[in-house]
Amino acid sequence: MTNYELVCGLETHIELSTNTKIFCSCTTEFGGDPNTHCCPVCIGLPGTLPKLNKRVVEYAIMAGLATNCEISRVSKMDRKNYVYPDLPKAYQISQYDMPLCKNGWVELSNGRKIRLTRIHIEEDAGKLVHQRGGTYVDYNRGGVPLIEIVSEPDIRSIDEAKEYLEKLQLIMRFIGISDCKMQEGSMRCDVNISMRPMGTEKFGTRTEIKNMNSFAHMAKAMDYEMNRQIDLLQSGEAVVQETRRYNEEDDCTESMRGKEDAHDYRYFREPDLVTIQVSDEIVNELKDKLPELPQKKAKRYMEDFGLPEADALLLTQYRKISEYFEAASKGVKNPKTVANCMIGQIFSRLEGDGAKENFAVKVTPENLNALVRLLDDGKIRMNLLKTTLEKMLDTGKAPSELISENDMGGVDPGALKAACEQAIAANPNAVSDYLGGKEKALKAILGAVMKATRGRADAMEVEKLLVQLIKK
Amino acid sequence: MVTHEEILNIANLAKLSVSPEELDELTKDMNEIIGFADTINAACPQASDFDNINGLSNAFREDIVVPSYDREEILKNAESRDDGYFLVKKRM
Repeated sequence: MTNYELVCGLETHIELSTNTKIFCSCTTEFGGDPNTHCCPVCIGLPGTLPKLNKRVVEYAIMAGLATNCEISRVSKMDRKNYVYPDLPKAYQISQYDMPLCKNGWVELSNGRKIRLTRIHIEEDAGKLVHQRGGTYVDYNRGGVPLIEIVSEPDIRSIDEAKEYLEKLQLIMRFIGISDCKMQEGSMRCDVNISMRPMGTEKFGTRTEIKNMNSFAHMAKAMDYEMNRQIDLLQSGEAVVQETRRYNEEDDCTESMRGKEDAHDYRYFREPDLVTIQVSDEIVNELKDKLPELPQKKAKRYMEDFGLPEADALLLTQYRKISEYFEAASKGVKNPKTVANCMIGQIFSRLEGDGAKENFAVKVTPENLNALVRLLDDGKIRMNLLKTTLEKMLDTGKAPSELISENDMGGVDPGALKAACEQAIAANPNAVSDYLGGKEKALKAILGAVMKATRGRADAMEVEKLLVQLIKK
Repeated sequence: MVTHEEILNIANLAKLSVSPEELDELTKDMNEIIGFADTINAACPQASDFDNINGLSNAFREDIVVPSYDREEILKNAESRDDGYFLVKKRM
């Protein structure tokens, strides 16, 4: 039986987080009552003229720079004609043959580079609600700026498709040009899929699955479509080039339109908008504005701070997290302690990706920094650090308000030994259990010592001391 | 020469229905329009960039929100409306 290989490319639409729409000054805010974020320009009334939002051009160039693209020095807008009620002008202003960015790439963790053909700017369409036998049209989203990122057919597995999309999401969030929320539609993609016998070069006939709005759906749709095509090829039938949609309920893909109804968009230059010229100065200015990108940042955390890769990836997941980490670890001896505090204790208080992205934590990075410095200076032990951090997370108080001078400095070695001896004497059963081979029995004695020292002793040290004393 | 088939295809893309009489007339008109464009092209063959005839570039707008129109104004000319939405015939 022939084994087949996936050949896949993605077209990803990302809504830019500008204040205003691409061609008029209406707000881009999500939601709002229907048709309340509209004006004559974005509902396509005759005689109105579009005016390009400068920030849209800047954001698209930033997206290009962050994905290793060439930035076109001369670019223009074009009209893409189609008749559908979500598009009041009956054409979408987009870019056809002179996109703002070209020839970029995104690198995956397996070292493969997914090449980007282009990134262009365009306007989003309105939203249609089909109900009660009619179509309800809301143009609030009409004219919201989008970038479309088109990849080459370099993707070879569902995992690669997911990682590619995750990387795009991460990069765009980091450079602050979009929130890339798939569930709110600010990031969505079309997946082009074909299969070919393993080891061959020639591409098979492809289908396009439209409008994937979650990672899970994309993976399921791809899985179904790959199997559907393999079944066809194995039984000697041809894959028909067509556009398909994913049906969530039945977990399958179904045909929307075939090649014969393929759109004839009759692109031509948008005569109402002048040429876009991008100077070296503008490109350099925007390059300077770009923050350190997550992949590079993660590498730096591993090399400079000695963090394990898993930690480095978690701390570069969102911009606010990395900013917090960098502020909290300023000047500390071991940034790994800060990483542990964040990943272990702070993350567990944040439910879901949204909470992590906002990273609204009661503890300021300065206070976490001060707490870790107390550990660095030997003034407190790890267990006190942990309990204090919990209190800080509850109250937002500074460590100086929660740890008294008495608590600092750990426990006098003589007193600690005495406490250990007392605990051993008070727990003869645990001692004999431990000597009988039950290692866990030691925990009971340890607990008694920690209680006696009000948690100030270092648990590891106590454990060592207890073993010594018992075995004597 | 523009053919009947091309006119029908364009009409179809524009969701227009064209009667046989109209088809003849439209084809004739379209040929005249294109002939007119050919005349202009022939008159100044050295000009290449009709796209950007003024040589203008970078007319941008700052990203500052201006209040949108009142919804009543937006929906004023709608043939049909419901609940703040434009209402159109279901298609596809």
